Amino acid sequence: MTPASLDNAVASRWPHRLALATACATFPLVWVGGLVTTQDAGMAVPDWPNTYGYNLFLYPWQTWFYGPFDVFIEHGHRLLGAAVGILTIAMAVGLWRGDRRQSVRWLGWVALAAVIVQGSLGGARVLLNERTLAMIHGSFGPAFFCLIAGLVIVTAPRWQSSEPATTSAATGRVQRLAVLTSLLAYAQLFVGANLRHLSLSAAPSAGRALAWFHIGLAAVLVWHAVLLVVAVGKAGVPGLVRRPAWLLMVLLAVQPVLGVMTWVFNYGWPIWTERFGWSAAHTIHAQGLYESFVITAHQATGSLIVATALVVSLRAWRWLAPVTRSSGAVHHGALRGAKAAERDARELLVAVTWPLAASSAMEVAR
Amino acid sequence: MSNLHAPRNLFRALAFLACGAALVGCGQSDAARFRLNMDGRDPTFASYEVQADEAKTSEESKQFREDRKVAIANEKVRQQLVVDLLTAGFGTPDEPFAPSDLGLDIARLRRAAGPVASYQSGQQHGLYRKHCAHCHGISGDGAGPTALFLNPYPRDYRPGVFKFTSTGPGMKPTRADLERTIREGLAGTAMPSFATLPQFEVDALIEYVIYLSIRGETETLLNAAFEGEELEPIDLKADAAKQQEQATALAERLKSEAADRASLWTAAVDTIVVPNQEAIPPFLPAEGTAEWQASVERGRVLFRDSKTANCIKCHGLTALGDGGGEELFDDWNKAKPANTKPEIALWELPKQELRPRNLRLGIYRGGRRPADLYRRIHVGIKGTPMPAAGNVLTQPGQIWDIVNYVLSLPYEASGEAKPTQPSVAQAP
Repeated sequence: MTPASLDNAVASRWPHRLALATACATFPLVWVGGLVTTQDAGMAVPDWPNTYGYNLFLYPWQTWFYGPFDVFIEHGHRLLGAAVGILTIAMAVGLWRGDRRQSVRWLGWVALAAVIVQGSLGGARVLLNERTLAMIHGSFGPAFFCLIAGLVIVTAPRWQSSEPATTSAATGRVQRLAVLTSLLAYAQLFVGANLRHLSLSAAPSAGRALAWFHIGLAAVLVWHAVLLVVAVGKAGVPGLVRRPAWLLMVLLAVQPVLGVMTWVFNYGWPIWTERFGWSAAHTIHAQGLYESFVITAHQATGSLIVATALVVSLRAWRWLAPVTRSSGAVHHGALRGAKAAERDARELLVAVTWPLAASSAMEVAR
Repeated sequence: MSNLHAPRNLFRALAFLACGAALVGCGQSDAARFRLNMDGRDPTFASYEVQADEAKTSEESKQFREDRKVAIANEKVRQQLVVDLLTAGFGTPDEPFAPSDLGLDIARLRRAAGPVASYQSGQQHGLYRKHCAHCHGISGDGAGPTALFLNPYPRDYRPGVFKFTSTGPGMKPTRADLERTIREGLAGTAMPSFATLPQFEVDALIEYVIYLSIRGETETLLNAAFEGEELEPIDLKADAAKQQEQATALAERLKSEAADRASLWTAAVDTIVVPNQEAIPPFLPAEGTAEWQASVERGRVLFRDSKTANCIKCHGLTALGDGGGEELFDDWNKAKPANTKPEIALWELPKQELRPRNLRLGIYRGGRRPADLYRRIHVGIKGTPMPAAGNVLTQPGQIWDIVNYVLSLPYEASGEAKPTQPSVAQAP
């Protein structure tokens, strides 16, 4: 694939660049959002969209920078959110003007709608002081991040080239496992968000059930990632799929460690370790710097895992073609990649967002 | 083509899974209500149902079921009455209230209570829900959503008993005792250190913990009074004047019970145990000196003396916490049956065993200063089998000697559990 043939396939490189910039700004936003939850700073500023009566952009920077830490991170989260919003507008316009594919152009506007919804959820959480909305806001943010990551992938010049897909007997399995892992990863993130925002009135048995569900789902997720990298190895897939699949495996190896440390920094070491001096001497420091970093890293890595799994899924559907059962013939990779991948991206978006919409509707109905 | 359809089915299956997860988590929004103290109570009277099933005749069975209906109806009336009385006397988690004779600072209570919110930069409200309620629960019953995972369980404030105090046996802690626990945390447990909180926030939290404790104790006393038929629910069939009279009497009773509880908190300061200033031996920095060695040896004798301190009963000869003997339980777990029948779950949290401290680790939850250890030995750890030894260790310096021995333990290998030396045992 030469640069010239890439240029012929792509109308403009700007949509990809803008999508990349938006994704790069969104991940820190996910981090800071997680820090807001870790520090329980969501209500550090009582009004919205203003900050203590000031326009968001006019709040005195000295007051912000040198003020209380919870106001610092909450207002910082808002500023970063505004920056992501502006970048999303630019990306949507860039896609509309610079991409030939109808569905991708519309996905730009979907992303813009999503960032508006996300901002509004954040605002409603503040104005209503409602923890359930904070949970939905915290779950929808990673979904938005994944959407942008997906747009980065589908706007890449190579995606739009006529380069054919690889085929082998195992490619179908790689595709299925990739999609399944993506959805499991998002389900796991959603359960984690529920755990972080668990109602204070919930019974201890409910808290325990949810925690065990989170741990069980983690085991299922890691197992699927192992199956995925094994399938990737057997299928002899190109580096475009193989590399993110291995990255996913690495992230899923780190994440349980972060999960255990999150538990320890919140609730201490298990009682059976009490015989050891390090366990008996361990004192939890509420909202300590190191503790907050690890707890937030666990949450942010969750978002990164979902996005990476999505990248593997999208690339698997673009760059791999399964053998059809009827004739044994293969799909024409480029044709299947261009159309089917767009359809799958849409389905993925719907699958990720509708449980949120359903649970929100139930809360409203309640 | 079925191969291509498979992912769509996966999409749907996983979407259902995610929605299921949403249902688990979204099931309850933050209803800011105090939970009734139902410990040991079975509001469904399931035992009647069991008896009905086991009855020999159908008439007996019918009678048990009828009795159950009446009991459930009466229980509902009692519960509502307790809720009404407590709400009138103490307000709600969002708007706490306390009569002035309880000596509680309402402004502090309001800062600690309610949902987490800021109305002025750096001035946070809802501190209790931000820092404490996850474990200790909205009602201070030690049964927050995380409680089942924790060992030991979070403190249930309602019995009004707090483990680590500087006050005399059976007395409430001082505010300074609570502050020490809040600021320093409890090593090896889920109780964190809130060392970075500003003083006014710590003061607000202390005030709210005391409020929850007084409220909880009053509720327990009301329950006991109704249980023992010392108090009677308002007779709803009586005329309005009679009902009003009964309601006023009940409210007065609640007020006096609450005032009694509150007075114990006020009186606690007068019972602070001041460590004996006579015969203070040299401590660890003086390790190796003859005087220090003699103090440690005297402490070792007392530690093992079954007639006085008798520390080895639980902490063991080696002080590893391996005294053996019967299982130990604190007051919060003592009343719970060993195996609660699943169909009659009378307790939110199942029985939890207590382990004596391994003193060779050098970790002391009630504080590591010699004066802290002195008080631990003198007044014990309240609500636990760790007794107050102040009344048996009456000779000057005895408690200090045990403190010295305990402080020396982390530096002595457990294999060096030396036998008691007769010459030291006879020393005064």
